[in-house]
Amino acid sequence: MQAIDIEHLSKTYAGGQKAVRDLSFTFGEGEVFGFLGPNGAGKTTTVKLLTGMLTPTSGRCRILGIDPAAQPEQVHALCGVVTEHAQMYDTLTGLENLQFFASLYGTGPEQSLARAREVLQLLRLEDAADQKLATYSSGMRQRLSLARCLMHRPRILFLDEPTAALDPESVQNVNQLIQNLAQSEGITIFLCTHQLRYAQEICTRYGLMSHGRLLALGTLNELRARLFSHSTLRIRASHIQEAPQALKPDADGCFTMPIACEEKVPEVVRQLVQSGAHIYEVEIIRPTLEDIYFSLTKER
Amino acid sequence: MNPAIKAIIRKDFRSITANRKLFSTMLIVPLCLTVLLPSIFILVSHFAPDDPDMQKLLSLLPAGAGAESLQLTVASLILNYILPVFFLMIPIMTSSITAASSFVGEKEKRTLETLLYCPLSVQQIFRAKVLASFLLSMLVSFLSFAAMLLFVELEAYFLMHGLLRPSLHWLLILLLLAPSLSLIAVTLIVRGSAKAKSVEESQQSAVFLILPLILLMVGQFSGALLLSTLFLLGLSVLCLFLAVLLLRKALRRFTYEMLLQNTSPSTQSRH
Ligand SMILES: Nc1ncnc2c1ncn2[C@@H]1O[C@H](COP(=O)(O)OP(=O)(O)O)[C@@H](O)[C@H]1O
Ligand SMILES: [Mg+2]
Repeated sequence: MQAIDIEHLSKTYAGGQKAVRDLSFTFGEGEVFGFLGPNGAGKTTTVKLLTGMLTPTSGRCRILGIDPAAQPEQVHALCGVVTEHAQMYDTLTGLENLQFFASLYGTGPEQSLARAREVLQLLRLEDAADQKLATYSSGMRQRLSLARCLMHRPRILFLDEPTAALDPESVQNVNQLIQNLAQSEGITIFLCTHQLRYAQEICTRYGLMSHGRLLALGTLNELRARLFSHSTLRIRASHIQEAPQALKPDADGCFTMPIACEEKVPEVVRQLVQSGAHIYEVEIIRPTLEDIYFSLTKER
Repeated sequence: MNPAIKAIIRKDFRSITANRKLFSTMLIVPLCLTVLLPSIFILVSHFAPDDPDMQKLLSLLPAGAGAESLQLTVASLILNYILPVFFLMIPIMTSSITAASSFVGEKEKRTLETLLYCPLSVQQIFRAKVLASFLLSMLVSFLSFAAMLLFVELEAYFLMHGLLRPSLHWLLILLLLAPSLSLIAVTLIVRGSAKAKSVEESQQSAVFLILPLILLMVGQFSGALLLSTLFLLGLSVLCLFLAVLLLRKALRRFTYEMLLQNTSPSTQSRH
């Protein structure tokens, strides 16, 4: 069974705004799926469709085999959702918030207390557990939202811009956490973000969105292979006498050349060394997600 | 009852009582209506029984009501015919305040969406929240009634050396009319909650419920419409019917999509 299975999913808002257009893709459990695109691409709308908050205008989707439009409660029991629109209660403490939401999942007070201590520790919020949420910083709020989602041990986590309001250090921490969740607990993650660079660090598969449409789908290497025929070899060296034709000096005083595969590297290096060059650094610069995204949007 | 629904009700109770400003309004107004106002009436009737208006009111008395002292009769009259109209403002007001904070307030603070992501159906959440507002408003109403009765009886005892007899009307009011009005107020607020962007905005719609009450009050004072048991029963049944009708309609309109309107990125604000 696929974790998420989407077929020809479309959503047009009451105002006529076509937010999602004919979306189709599937992926299995255990993936960290990066759903990427700029603001307004339709990411949040897709998450709302997948969690049953919106009914599709056409098409259908399945979460672990369940239709969220028909049985949202069952989907909610298996999933956790973090979005900036889903806040918790300022008048309750962090711990009370977690226990309240756990009680909605039918967890008793003792059981939820134990679990809450566990997830608070995981998110480094133990010290703030008994503070009112009103005193939390936005980074702490975000981590508490993650904690709330983890309380009921979900199989899929939907994270909608989880790091948009965070400082770089918190971003690192949340990143680390997401990777741990996926690797050690096997939780499937559906991560929406407009920060491509950040997504590249943690996702295993990507869906690139623009104006409600899916532009491309695949792992980073698949996407690279599809869009770019070569990477760039960058060499910092001096005393170069005899060099391959393609090797050109760049602005930083290094030399670069396009290469199709890394098997070509030793050959180039050997040639340079034999001709008496001093080599200080050799690096392959592969296209980043940003390069991929821009080349995709330019294509259109 | 489902423990999750109980948890929502408990949380709603708590968040309203934790908001000092809201909670004190919810208590002070009923206290004014049930303690201060009746006391003024009783005192006036005690010290100015010869007032011509009072005499006129007395002439409208149902037969057999004049068995005790004149003052006590007047005081009973106030208790059984005038105070009910004031009293009925309490369930309307308290349930409007609680419903607005429980529905619109959660939307405003962006906690409603979090609730919707829980494994409860949207109807269960609706029921829990209506029930929370309703129960809290009934609690305040019953407590207000108890306080009113206590004060009025004490005043009658010390000033007039007798006790007042609350009529059966009060039973009808407490058990039928007040709950119905409270439910109507809740559903009106919930209906408006889809569009209302702030708690204040939604509370304004409940003001319209006070209007018929004011009419009732004018009727009472002019003597044109002295509350009869039959009239009261009819009114209560009508209100109950209306409450059930509105509630069912509101429940059907209560969907995720409707609830998440106005929470689009452009209207967000965090404090
Ligand atoms: N409730 C709504 N009503 C009408 N249009 C909406 C609503 N929510 C989002 N949109 C529009 O749908 C498009 C996609 O929005 P959204 O899914 O929030 O994108 P993203 O999350 O990728 O930034 C945008 O053009 C946005 O203006
Ligand atoms: Mg978004």
